[in-house]
Amino acid sequence: MRFQYLLTQTIQGIRRNPLVVASAIVAVLVTLVLVFGAIVVRWSIDQDIGRWDDDVRVIAWLGGEISPDQIFAMQEEISSWDEVEEVVYFSKPQALEEFRELFPDQPALIEVVEEDPSVLPDSLRIKPTEAGDYADIQNRVAVYPGVQEVTAAGEEIDALVARSNRMRTFAVGVFVVLGAAALVLIANTIRMAVYARREEISIMRLVGAGNWFIRVPFLLEGLFEGVAGAALAALIVSLGNKPIVQMLSTVTDPESIVVPVQFLLQNSLLVLAFGAATGLLGSALGMWGTLRD
Amino acid sequence: MIRLQDVTKVYDGGVVAAQGVSLEIAKGEFVFLVGPSGSGKSTLIRLLLREELPTSGDLWVAGKQVNKLPSWKVPLLRRSVGTVFQDFKLLPSKTVYENVAFALEVIGRPRHVIRQQVPQVLRLVGLAAKADRLPRQLSGGEQQRVSIARAFVNRPLILFADEPTGNLDPGTSVGIMRLLDRINRTGTTVVMATHDHAIVDAMRRRVVALDRGAVVRDESRGAYESVPSLPEALGEGEPE
Repeated sequence: MRFQYLLTQTIQGIRRNPLVVASAIVAVLVTLVLVFGAIVVRWSIDQDIGRWDDDVRVIAWLGGEISPDQIFAMQEEISSWDEVEEVVYFSKPQALEEFRELFPDQPALIEVVEEDPSVLPDSLRIKPTEAGDYADIQNRVAVYPGVQEVTAAGEEIDALVARSNRMRTFAVGVFVVLGAAALVLIANTIRMAVYARREEISIMRLVGAGNWFIRVPFLLEGLFEGVAGAALAALIVSLGNKPIVQMLSTVTDPESIVVPVQFLLQNSLLVLAFGAATGLLGSALGMWGTLRD
Repeated sequence: MIRLQDVTKVYDGGVVAAQGVSLEIAKGEFVFLVGPSGSGKSTLIRLLLREELPTSGDLWVAGKQVNKLPSWKVPLLRRSVGTVFQDFKLLPSKTVYENVAFALEVIGRPRHVIRQQVPQVLRLVGLAAKADRLPRQLSGGEQQRVSIARAFVNRPLILFADEPTGNLDPGTSVGIMRLLDRINRTGTTVVMATHDHAIVDAMRRRVVALDRGAVVRDESRGAYESVPSLPEALGEGEPE
């Protein structure tokens, strides 16, 4: 009886002013679509960074005058560094093989390399323990005798890390600014609902209705607005993230990127929780000062 | 049933609405609070309902010390009393039945209790045939009967009535007073603030007269005015 009564009250409250309720839901929706969207895009960027992580990151190109023993000693020494995970020696034939694999559709280019093997010298391929350590390794390796040049995929990684950080800043910014706006909008709808029912509320107090009995329908109304907006946002991002992720991805084959269902599900739950919290908080804010004992 | 001990209420701005009021009302009594406008009748009822707190002094209603009651217990206090106002305070969009049932719904009474008690109390106030009407389709006297039904449907120990006949013509008022008298005969304590001379003089019940917040007279079978103060009252002019 009580539960049914509270639910009826809540539904009546929502029906009383559908436009205002819709505006609150849309505010939550927009906020959480942007936040959730940013989370997913950041995930895809982090995937790209991870892909780089698996590759050889620092390449020391060796001159022709260096002996195999020296190369071996150097390899041993560098692999003992803390920031280095492993060092692999790449001979000229191996480099040529790799080149063939990388550019199978450009026989002219391969021909040039085959004619002059010095274009592809021996190299040590160094894998750092942490993605950010490449610059340090680069500097230390460069001073070894016989090392002609040290290259690293540094700039690309830096750009990705910066992009990932920008996404996080964007998500936090959106969450704070639009989240506050959504909160105030919900508070406003609740305040209007309280105002519309002020006569009823004064009579409820008169006949001894409990404080929570009076408040619960408004809290439920706020909760509904928050959760409805969040559910729509979760649905939109979960089902419609593909084009955006593919557009923003740096991977050569964007078609292959699929955001895992578990990741979407976990974050959808988080989004729903934030929606619920925003709804309840907004509702409490709306009742503040108007529904005191 | 009701006890006030040296109760004083001073509003912000220095208006004294109650001044050292001490009063005791026994179970089953019918008490008129009389006095000119601004004498503190309504304030006393507001204090007893804990709509306001006294500046000093103590009040007890139905065994509860009202001024010390924690706020979450205030609803319990209000469930043990019924209140009727001059302006009825009915919900315009609800029918007679719904208005009375509302009082039971919001304190969580089960549906079968509501279905049983509402028609019963509507019969008591003589509105059983008009249960489906809206308040605006009723006369003033009928609307006040609905509000009395709402106040009484939960069988309160005490009924407070603040100028219940203030908006009604004398003939209709008599009907309302008969109803309140009937409720009083069921053992319910009735406290009624009024400045309706005719009613008070006709009923001959206990009269507590207030003036500027202080009790100036307390007679067990009193009239609206004690005889010596009649010329004085006329000199001050008719209250409202």
